[in-house]
Parts: sequence; structure tokens; C-alpha cells
Amino acid sequence: MAIITINDEDFLKFKEYFYRKTGMLFENSKRYFVDKRLIERIQITESESFRGYFNMLRFESSGNELQNLVNIMTVNETYFFREEYQFKCLVNSLLDEITAKKTDKSPIRIWSVPSSSGEEPYSIAIYLLEHWAGIHDWDVEILSSDIDTAIIAQAKRGNYSSRSVQHLPKNILTKYFKYQDEGYQICDDLRGAVEFSRVNIMNAFEVRPYRDIDVIFCRNLLIYFDDTARRQSAEMFFDAMKPGSFVCLGHSESMSRISSLFRVRKFPDAIVYQKPLDVR
Amino acid sequence: MAFVKRQAPDDLTITQDKRENERDFQGLLLELNSPDVTVRRWAVRDLMQIPESSPFLVTRLGFEENISVRAGILNSLAHLGDNVAIAGLVSCLRSEDAALRNEAIDVLKEVPDKVEPIMSNLLTDLDSDVRIFAVNILESLRHYNVEQWLIEVIEKDPHINVCATALDLLSEVGTEKSIPALTQLKARFEDEPYICFSTDLALKRIIEGS
Amino acid sequence: MKHILIIDDAATVRLYHRNILEAAGYSVDEAINGIEALEKALVKPYDLYIVDVNMPKLDGYGFLKEFRLQENIKQAPAIMVTTEAGANDRTLGYAAGANLYLTKPIKPNELVAYVRLLLGDLS
Repeated sequence: MAIITINDEDFLKFKEYFYRKTGMLFENSKRYFVDKRLIERIQITESESFRGYFNMLRFESSGNELQNLVNIMTVNETYFFREEYQFKCLVNSLLDEITAKKTDKSPIRIWSVPSSSGEEPYSIAIYLLEHWAGIHDWDVEILSSDIDTAIIAQAKRGNYSSRSVQHLPKNILTKYFKYQDEGYQICDDLRGAVEFSRVNIMNAFEVRPYRDIDVIFCRNLLIYFDDTARRQSAEMFFDAMKPGSFVCLGHSESMSRISSLFRVRKFPDAIVYQKPLDVR
Repeated sequence: MAFVKRQAPDDLTITQDKRENERDFQGLLLELNSPDVTVRRWAVRDLMQIPESSPFLVTRLGFEENISVRAGILNSLAHLGDNVAIAGLVSCLRSEDAALRNEAIDVLKEVPDKVEPIMSNLLTDLDSDVRIFAVNILESLRHYNVEQWLIEVIEKDPHINVCATALDLLSEVGTEKSIPALTQLKARFEDEPYICFSTDLALKRIIEGS
Repeated sequence: MKHILIIDDAATVRLYHRNILEAAGYSVDEAINGIEALEKALVKPYDLYIVDVNMPKLDGYGFLKEFRLQENIKQAPAIMVTTEAGANDRTLGYAAGANLYLTKPIKPNELVAYVRLLLGDLS
């Protein structure tokens, strides 16, 4: 096989395309990182050159190759307190705005999708207990869904590796976890705080029972979908949300590639997206 | 701790197909004109499943003012994809409302197979703005003819901005086949710095790309 | 150095405007549509915005309307650049909050002159 190289024009072409599709922008300083992964995909797909590969990437109707690329260009790892700035935003800004608008004492409803093995919904519960005084005055429902029943079962068990909990402060770890069976077992109170369920967010009938949500965390999921699936998922969220409620996306995701229905809101800790209060 | 769970979480899966009303076609058409935005939006989404809905959705699109309902109509029309639905989406390209135009372009991009048969007509439309939007839609078409269409645009279209839009895409998908047309376009608009810049860029990418 | 945000969904247009403005001594960032532009402007306000009209997700009019509501950043000048030359388009542009409405394609010296004018960089 000939030696495959990515020259400057190839890189620029790829950079613009990937930016348009995903919102991820690679500076020239990332050139080595990008080239290495592109060459790897060119070889795996048995393309003859960058040009052949790029054509396949652009014109392939399934969009699978773009998904493969997103996968290797991002780090998709889940652990406690990942992208913590958004949890800070939740307790410092979002919840106060939500409670200020509420006219009754009904529970605040937070939906974490995908649940994966549970690190995100449990992180939210811990963050509320540790950093939000309102938890004494308000009831909170934490819902968390995933399409994969095996991973939900794992989330419900709540047993984690040391890698999963490595970013947790020591006092949090000792307060909410117990070291057993060579892992960290989350306490029963937290296990009881999260309602796990199986949902395919692409299925309108499955999403329909989820209503009146105040905050949705959907991080590092939509970026793996194609344009249509991404937009439709966001619209399903829109229907599940209360007017004035919020969506938090992952750090490399932006609503600018997904849907026009939400407003951009900037808070001290993060940018989040809001379903307009007046439901335009 | 003030964490609570729903009273009957199992209902989430059990009741998912239950509806408040009998949502037959006639009922949904009535709801399409409800004063309640949420009711309209759900009606629009359910009508997506009924093939005869397109004319009613297109009519509603003509005066629907709510952005989220409108987005739902566009989505349902793209999903239905029959001639009436696609014609309804295409008519949005002529709208005075920029948001509606761009939303229509977005959903038309998502149904390349439905757009392909009318692409030649759109690319030769009398309105240069419609031709520009047609090139925008081409961006997503997964079709062997995309480059040829773009070549024809830059060879024949008299409007500089239609050619400029095609050039932007050619700098991404162009091959050696485009070189003569690009060279010719540069000569045709030799006094226009933008065209010179973007033809040079497209040519450079074609010639130096590997 | 003054900062300019170019908002346009066409990569070639962004690059063309970027080259011209950087050569004139400005620092430039890019956004692909109105939503990305708002995200960037809310994090780092710019001295001037160059705004295309037709863009996916949030068009130029929509961007300007939303932008002009944002305290602290809303006063910056914006040039709307578009393929649409109709009188009505122009009126819509000014109504949405554009300071200037230009028709594409723009000549380099013209763009620099207008940017300098709006930024008060005439000396």
C-alpha cells in the first residue's frame, strides 16, 4: 500500500467539513493529532488516498464513517463530576431561576440522558446535596434514561472503579461511597434518588410520557447522531420541557448544529440552551 | 433528603400509547387549528404518520406563526415526502421570511432522494435567490451528479452570487473535471476580486489535494 | 487590536473576509450561523460583527434581533452582507439592527473602508 499523507489543502478541506458538521474546530496546532487519526481511518476503510476517503465520508448515505471519525476525535469517557462546570451552573444559576418562576411546590424535574452507567445522574444528586441550599425547600425528581438495558442495570447497582471516582474530592467519596468488592459502592440513599428507565430518544411514543422537565442533561450523545436524528431528538426534548427550562449539552457540542428552537443563555459557569418562556 | 420519585414510575412505559382523545385523522385536522400551541404541535407530529395530511399541513404552513409548530410542520412534510409535501417545502424558498426559507433548506437537505428529481428545475429557476438556495441544498445531496450540476451552474449562470455559492461547494467536492469551468469562470468575472479569490482557492485544492 | 466576528455559513466567504480584515490589522473570529455567533459573542464580545443573511438554524436577522437584546454587548456595530439586493431586504436589515447593509460580493477596499468608518479608525 502506498504511503498515505494528508497535505495542507486536504487538511483545510477536512477541517472545514468537520467544523460544519460537528462544530469541532481543529487549529493547526492539532494537525498531528488529526492527521494521525485520518490516516488510521483511511487505512481501515481501505481507501486509496485522502481524496477517495473524503469522497466516501461526504457522500456515504449512512453517515457511519462520520460517526467513526467523531468517535476517534473525541474522548468519550464517563466519570463522576465530568464537565463539572455545568453542575456548578445548575446549582449557582439554573435552579434559582427555575424556582423563582414556579407558582406551586411541585417537584423540580431533572432528566439525564443517556444515563450510561449512572455517573452523571448520581453526580447531579451529589451536587444538589452538597452545593444547593434549595434542596431543603424543594422536592427534586432525577430521571435518567438510556437505550441499553444492560447499562441501566449497571447504573442501578452503582458499583464503580477507582478510575470512575478519581475526580471526586476525598470527603465526597467517603461520604457517599463504600469501598467493597474491589470497587466503590454508591450509598443506598443516592441509589434511591434516581429513577432509571429505558428510553430510545428517537422514538416519539417512548419519549411522550416525559413531560414538564425543568433541566435536561444530554451530553456527548447528539454529536454522534446524523443531522436529522440530532434535530429530531432536540425537538422531542423541546416537547418534553417546560417553557423557560434548560438543556445542557457536552463541551464539544453546540445547538448551532442541532436546532433553531432554543435560545442561547450565558451564565457565569456555562452556556446553556433555553426553551423560550413565551414558546414562540 | 428531598429527592422524590414519581408515584407510579412503571406507568411511563405502560401508558405510553394511551391518548387523551381518539386521535383519528379528522380529529387531528381540527387540532391543527387549535389556538393552543402545544395541541397544534402534537397534531402536526401525529399527522406525519398519515399520508393524506400533506395538503392540510401545507395550508397551515401558509399562516402558522409559531416557530415550534412551523418547525414541526416542516419536519412532517419532509417525512411525508410526497409531491405535495415537497412542493410545499420548495415554496418556502420564495418566502419573504428568512427564517422560514432557511428552515426549509435545512429539511430539504435531509431528504436528498426527494429533492433530486426537481434539482434541475430549481437550478434554472428565474429567481436567482432560489437558485442560490438550490445550490445550498446540493451541499447534502449524495448523488454522483453533484459536481456536474455545480459545473453547469458556474458555466451558465449569469448571476455572480449563484456562481459564488457554487464555488464554495466546489472547493470542497471539485475534481479535475471542474478545472476548465473554473478557469473559464475566473476569466468571465476577472474584475471581481471575490470570484478570483474563490476560483483560485478551488483550483488550488483540486490540484494540490492528494 | 480590534476584534471582528465574521458570521457566514460559506467557508470561502469567511476566509475571503478574514484575509482582507487581517491584512487591515484586525483580529478575526468566525461563526457558521447566528447561534454559534451568539455563543461566541456572549463569551467574548467583539468590536464589530459582519453578518450574512441566509444561514441555517439562526439567520442574520434573527441573530441581530437577539444580539441587540443582550446587555453589555449589544451596542457594537454590525454590517449585514447579503446576496439580496431588494429594497425590502435592506429595510428588514436595518429594522433588525444592522448599521450598514452591503450586497455581496464586496470589494476588499470597500469592506475595509466601511469597517474603519464604523469603528472610528479613520486616522
